[in-house]
Amino acid sequence: MAVARYIKDEKDRILDVILESGIHVKPLYTPEDLSRTGFDYEKDVADPGQYPYTRGIHPLGYRSRAWTTRQYTGFGSPQETNERFKLMIAHGQTGLNVAFDLPTQMGYDSDDPMSEGEVGRVGMAVDTLRDFEIAFKDIKLDKIGAGLTINAVASIMLAMYQAAGEKYGYDARVISATPQNDILKEMVGRGAWIFPVEPAVKLIGDTIEYAMTVMPRTNPVSVCGYHIRESGATPAQEIAFAILIANVYIDNVLARGFDVDDFVGRFSFNLNVFGNMWEQVAKFRAARKLWARNLKEKYNVKNPQNLFLRGLFGGGGYGLTKAQPENNIMRGAYYALVAALSGAQTTALCSYDEAYTIPTPHSALLSLRTLQLLMDEMGLRDTVDPLAGSYFIETITKEMEQKIEEEMEMIEKYGGMIKAVSRGYIQRLVARQAYEVEKGLESGELLKVGVNIYKEGVSEDVELHEYNNESAEKQIEDLKQVKKQRSQRDVLRTLKKLESATKEGKNIMPYLVECCKAYATVGEMTNIFRQEFGEFQEPALF
Amino acid sequence: MDLAKKVLQGDEKSAARLISMIEDGGDEGHREISLLFSHTGKAHIIGVTGTPGAGKSTLISKLAVNFADKGKKVGIIAVDPTSPKDNGALLGDRLRMRDVEETKGVFIRSMASRGYPGGIAKASAGAVYVLEALGKEIIMVETVGAGQTEMQIYSLCNTIITILAPDYGDEIQLMKAGLLEIGDIVAINKADNVRAEDISAEIAVYIGKNKSKGWETPVLTVQAKEGGGIEKLVEAVNEHFVYLNKNTCGKDIKKEKLKTFMFALLKEELWNRALNTWAGNKRFDSIVKKLQKGEIDPYAAVRKALEINGL
Amino acid sequence: MEEYAMHEKRIKILIAKPGLDGHDRGAKVVSHALKEAGMEVIYSGLHKTIDQIVNIALQEDVDIIGLSIMTGAHIPIVEKLMKKMRDEDIIDKTVFVGGVIPAKDISKLKGLGVAGVFPGGTPLSEMIEFIKTHMKKA
Repeated sequence: MAVARYIKDEKDRILDVILESGIHVKPLYTPEDLSRTGFDYEKDVADPGQYPYTRGIHPLGYRSRAWTTRQYTGFGSPQETNERFKLMIAHGQTGLNVAFDLPTQMGYDSDDPMSEGEVGRVGMAVDTLRDFEIAFKDIKLDKIGAGLTINAVASIMLAMYQAAGEKYGYDARVISATPQNDILKEMVGRGAWIFPVEPAVKLIGDTIEYAMTVMPRTNPVSVCGYHIRESGATPAQEIAFAILIANVYIDNVLARGFDVDDFVGRFSFNLNVFGNMWEQVAKFRAARKLWARNLKEKYNVKNPQNLFLRGLFGGGGYGLTKAQPENNIMRGAYYALVAALSGAQTTALCSYDEAYTIPTPHSALLSLRTLQLLMDEMGLRDTVDPLAGSYFIETITKEMEQKIEEEMEMIEKYGGMIKAVSRGYIQRLVARQAYEVEKGLESGELLKVGVNIYKEGVSEDVELHEYNNESAEKQIEDLKQVKKQRSQRDVLRTLKKLESATKEGKNIMPYLVECCKAYATVGEMTNIFRQEFGEFQEPALF
Repeated sequence: MDLAKKVLQGDEKSAARLISMIEDGGDEGHREISLLFSHTGKAHIIGVTGTPGAGKSTLISKLAVNFADKGKKVGIIAVDPTSPKDNGALLGDRLRMRDVEETKGVFIRSMASRGYPGGIAKASAGAVYVLEALGKEIIMVETVGAGQTEMQIYSLCNTIITILAPDYGDEIQLMKAGLLEIGDIVAINKADNVRAEDISAEIAVYIGKNKSKGWETPVLTVQAKEGGGIEKLVEAVNEHFVYLNKNTCGKDIKKEKLKTFMFALLKEELWNRALNTWAGNKRFDSIVKKLQKGEIDPYAAVRKALEINGL
Repeated sequence: MEEYAMHEKRIKILIAKPGLDGHDRGAKVVSHALKEAGMEVIYSGLHKTIDQIVNIALQEDVDIIGLSIMTGAHIPIVEKLMKKMRDEDIIDKTVFVGGVIPAKDISKLKGLGVAGVFPGGTPLSEMIEFIKTHMKKA
């Protein structure tokens, strides 16, 4: 939404600019600002590919490789999803990002009463391995990686992905999945949680451990500052909380006796791109530096390759508006520019109609073209970190670093991330901030085109993606068939083993793979966990 | 209206409606309450107090589930503060009592502490009577209980549990607010064993001075979230109820409390009636103006205002 | 005299998140706004079933049930809610719906008995004005 506070006089002259993270922007920056902040190229910034990686993690940036575009895709039946995958790949998309429907995300089968009205609505419905077989048919799983936007049941989906790959002759070692698998952000900003904090973190540790040994091309965790930002966090908080959340997962795996260098290199991040342009660029540069420093100084990571902050910088749903939806096309273009100037490895945009519903093929393609234009037509591949050396950008990058560290300290003082999330401290903080933003929009203190300024103009009706009821009914029917055809004995046997393994605190991944191969359903597997772990108690809002 | 009749038959909707009528003030609600009153007096009314964050709501929900599992019918009244700034209220206790939402036979009602023409003491008393008439045998009342009015709600309760969590340095605050004194049972929550022992000792000394005859305030340790210590707490609660009904001192206390509660209601009612006389009264307004202009002092202003009521 | 005067009948409202949707920024913002506008607000928390929502509305005797739905499932959810409200005899309570609601569904929702629809982007002040006016008439 509104990206900075502007203090103006009666003549509309800007007297002060205050960015969301609290940084004040001056009218002019000069070499003096660099000396004032003690800017040191080698220490603060360094060449791309050199610690602390402020300028980027690869020395050649986009010169060696354009960014990966990963539009969030998936709806309805696995069949429809498979068709949409093939369409996007044909148009040049280089990675998949699979969206799942809410029942799947929450561990319910399509025929569960809790799923009514939601089957295939916000993403693909998945009940058994059969659905993955259909969704990934004819896709070259050794060439194209799949982001799986799944969290509470990420372990199940990853196991299912492995089983599907093996069905098509792809060994676990060559497929590449990136389950989002970040439960703490769910509790803060996305709401798709099931189990309480500790067992949920344990499941994440299990997937990381499993990926290390069995699926080395898999990125088992994508730490999401994204949704926390969407919920009302400032850009500085987004990074601060993301780093602290990543540390929780690192600590869990370290406690199992593993060496941090063996797994942390596969962590990735999902960070948001809406907001004031300069603040965003400063944020991403500072984030790379702080992540590398966090790993080096706190965890003693030795391999420089493991210090990279690899991530998807994109999205920006909260920045889009329902009013004058075509403006969202331009917003998307600017957000993409920000991502490119920030050196994003992977990117994706919200489609211009996403304030309404799931993107139509037309709007999804527009987003893709936006991204391709930047890389191939506008020159964003020409050089690495083009804004480096700017008196302005280097100064606010340093200030952003400070802000981020302050936010991290605040959480440490409170007692750490686990406590802050379990007790609802962060949830209440971002809810409060979200309310202040809303009030700012209503009072006009924060400006938003089409919403409180420049409101003249038609908000045209957009052609919307329609929910396919028949598709849902077919999914339920297909599930019935699968249940009839599978071997009940195998299902019971594998579920029983999963239950024992869960009770004994073992790594549940291999047991899940067996359950998937026996065509156990998502609901059946989740219920084992529900039974053993119980459910997360949402902390109070007020 | 027949609300009272329906409530006695166990109709939850009518009970909820009637509680609202009492909150809104007005005679109709009172008439219906009078019809119910003879059916009350046997329920165990348990007040739970303590500082924010100590775990009141969690404890109440664990207790409620425990009672419900044993076949008791339970009512819960959760009072949250009205903001003096905007007169709105966020009634958040219900969110904290998730376990209970799933349990049969439990009725939860949230109330904002101010803004009732009758006053909160009146509204909560009404709610308690309605819930008992509805068939609830155990009624738990939760409030932050630092203000004068909230304190008065406690005289409505048979048994008061004071809960504190050592993390917060609660002990001092509670002693200051007098909340430790009114506790018939003290529960220490979220404490590791060593800390809990220290505090138990400290508290025992403090309340030793305030013992009422025949009842020694137990100081128990609980882990509300995990359900630890709940059985023992339930035992203490039941024992206290027996004490109140069987022991002479206990019975005297009950009588004393009724009188205290009546005074609380009287206070509220008097104030409300006085307000009604003064609202829009030109003589009153001119007294206020004179005070603000410095023509009379506050004491004189009060004397003059009371003359309007013939006092 | 303001704070002690006879009050306007207070408005008690339940802000509910039905179903599996986890996006609660809007619901929380609206809860704060309504509280600051002088109402008594109960927020249901996430993942509530229609039965649970109706149970809360009944026990709390709320004046208004406000549903926040971001997934597009508003029509089936409202149909279910109305049916349950009829079953429990609380159909006289007011229902509002907010969230991701396309314009073409607004009349459909009103036809089902929804008194006010607030699609995303509706200013809070507009929502509050509408609620207060509507409750005065009721």
